[in-house]
Amino acid sequence: MSKNREGRSSRLSLGSLARRPEAGSFVGLILVYALFAILGGAVFVGAPGWSSWLNIAAEVGIVALPVGLLMIAGELDISVGSVIPASQMTTAIIAGYLGLPIVLGIACGLGVGLLVGLVNGHLVTRTTIPSLIITIGTMFAVMGLTLGFAVLIAGSTSVFLVPDPVTKTILGTFLFGMFNVSILWWLVFATFVFLLLHVSPVGNWIFALGGDRDSARNAGIPTSRLTIGLYMLSGFAAALVGILQLMTYQNAQVATGQSFIFNSIMCVVIGGVLLTGGAGSVIGIVIGTATFAIVNQGIFFSGLDPNVGSVIIGVMLLAAVLSNDGFRAIALKYSTRKG
Amino acid sequence: MKLTKILLTTAAIAVAAGTVHAEGANIFVIGGKPDDPFWSRVKKGAEDAGKVAEAQGGSVTWLGPQNYDNLGPDAAELIRQAIDQKADAIVGPDWVPEAMDPAFQAVVDAGIPLVIYNAGGIEAADRLGAMNYVGAVDYKSGYAGGEYLGKAGHKNGACVNTLPGAANIEAFCNGFNDGLAAAGGAGSTLQLPATAFGDATAVAQAVRAHLLENPTIDAMFAIGDQDTNATISGVQQAGKTGAVHVCGMNFNDSILANIQGGTQACAIDQQGYQQGFFAVSILNNFVNYGVTIPTREILTGPGVIDATNVDLVIAGVQAGAR
Repeated sequence: MSKNREGRSSRLSLGSLARRPEAGSFVGLILVYALFAILGGAVFVGAPGWSSWLNIAAEVGIVALPVGLLMIAGELDISVGSVIPASQMTTAIIAGYLGLPIVLGIACGLGVGLLVGLVNGHLVTRTTIPSLIITIGTMFAVMGLTLGFAVLIAGSTSVFLVPDPVTKTILGTFLFGMFNVSILWWLVFATFVFLLLHVSPVGNWIFALGGDRDSARNAGIPTSRLTIGLYMLSGFAAALVGILQLMTYQNAQVATGQSFIFNSIMCVVIGGVLLTGGAGSVIGIVIGTATFAIVNQGIFFSGLDPNVGSVIIGVMLLAAVLSNDGFRAIALKYSTRKG
Repeated sequence: MKLTKILLTTAAIAVAAGTVHAEGANIFVIGGKPDDPFWSRVKKGAEDAGKVAEAQGGSVTWLGPQNYDNLGPDAAELIRQAIDQKADAIVGPDWVPEAMDPAFQAVVDAGIPLVIYNAGGIEAADRLGAMNYVGAVDYKSGYAGGEYLGKAGHKNGACVNTLPGAANIEAFCNGFNDGLAAAGGAGSTLQLPATAFGDATAVAQAVRAHLLENPTIDAMFAIGDQDTNATISGVQQAGKTGAVHVCGMNFNDSILANIQGGTQACAIDQQGYQQGFFAVSILNNFVNYGVTIPTREILTGPGVIDATNVDLVIAGVQAGAR
């Protein structure tokens, strides 16, 4: 693996800034915020506007972070869309329907996410089937199991759970009546993933994995264990979002979560992660998530037709991929001239 | 040559014999996703009526789409699957007439008895040559919600449409706006992008943003039970509890609790169980015995659930009837 990312941030020049994977997405974030600040006015710029898009960003952001790590490592995870309802239904059935302790319910809910990740990781590392296909398969399997068990055990496709005040405060409350506590969880998780990718040695392994899997394995990186670990992190994050939604809305539904599949991938790509793997950053993913959420919510403050929001998201996605290619070309040119 | 002819004739007779239904009616029901809380009740109704069909040697098969991203064409494909599987009778909702009517036409052209249910109304049944329509009239359901909130003195309403383009959802919202207008108010529709469907947070935040942008809104209508819960959360987050009154289509345990607790004004019930049950019964009896129901347009709703009758409804849920 020849790609050297060690001295990346040591020199602060125009070239090194442009070479940062999140450069293009940061420009996009500023443009989008300015647009909706003008259209949305005081309400959007004030606390109600911020809480509005931060609440959206937090949930999709928690899923997007590990999905981003997987994409940097050259893999996809579609199964997050059904882990969200699976974990929330598991928790609701154990703690709500069966009336067992809520800690047990949450542990089992998170366990479902880890288990799906474990299965995904083993299937991806032990077969040559693309991870897109494998995780579509596990997505449908988990969806069917969730529906089957929910109807079998609870006799219903939606299960009620009224959390105790402590659990509600930690996982499902609104700070100042408007900021969902999930925003804090997103920040904690983003810090953890930042340290993992950019500070710990595992980070370089992840980049190496996405750059060239065979060379990474030859260099002594435990590629299989790393891949399995990343899928388990992704399953865990999706399960956490499922539980956060459950504690907020106090109702588990077997049909929720599908929108997170594409939304998380869009956040990651807008954030400058290379689809082919090997490049990307946590700050970029956070910026991409914020951009996505601002467009999604800003549209309701702007008086524009909400469908315009989807158009903007689509255009931004394409612009992100194009500008990534552009920035990468500049970066490569710059480094060859230097070398 | 002659042998082939005889064999072919025998085969033709065998096929013809199959359609005489000596072995009961094989009824195919096209409906929503089986994990959709509303549709699981319709499915239960269809399956309960199917017990009679099964006792007579027939069967009931449920065909539902995997998701609602491409509703019309997907449902049309399911109708054609039912024809291909030699259905003796078909039940289906006319959600997206433009996409689904040609498939329903193929059912009628093949001589298969057809009942339209849930969406489309008697107009769709007449247009397509179906035997009957079983269901609530979407427009009337929305109208009942608008009228209820309008008579309670609310003036400015918004209908939360999380599935733009589906004919029945448009009718809910048009009915709501007209019902509110008839009672002296005015209504509009809040259209959500397709990425919001099924995501409670996205719906809640959209509602909240809309309420902050339009502070005079005092009445809202949601098109399903999940959306209703999300809408109420959005109202709470906007700090508008008590100022914005919410009615919604369909109900579940938490909605009944909200009506009891006063955070939701009313729920409009179209009684999905009845839709599945009667549509299958009508076809089973027709296929087996040739008997018909002369009453056209079997209405299963709207029924308004509010604080005055919620306890009765909860008793009904506990008895397993709703």
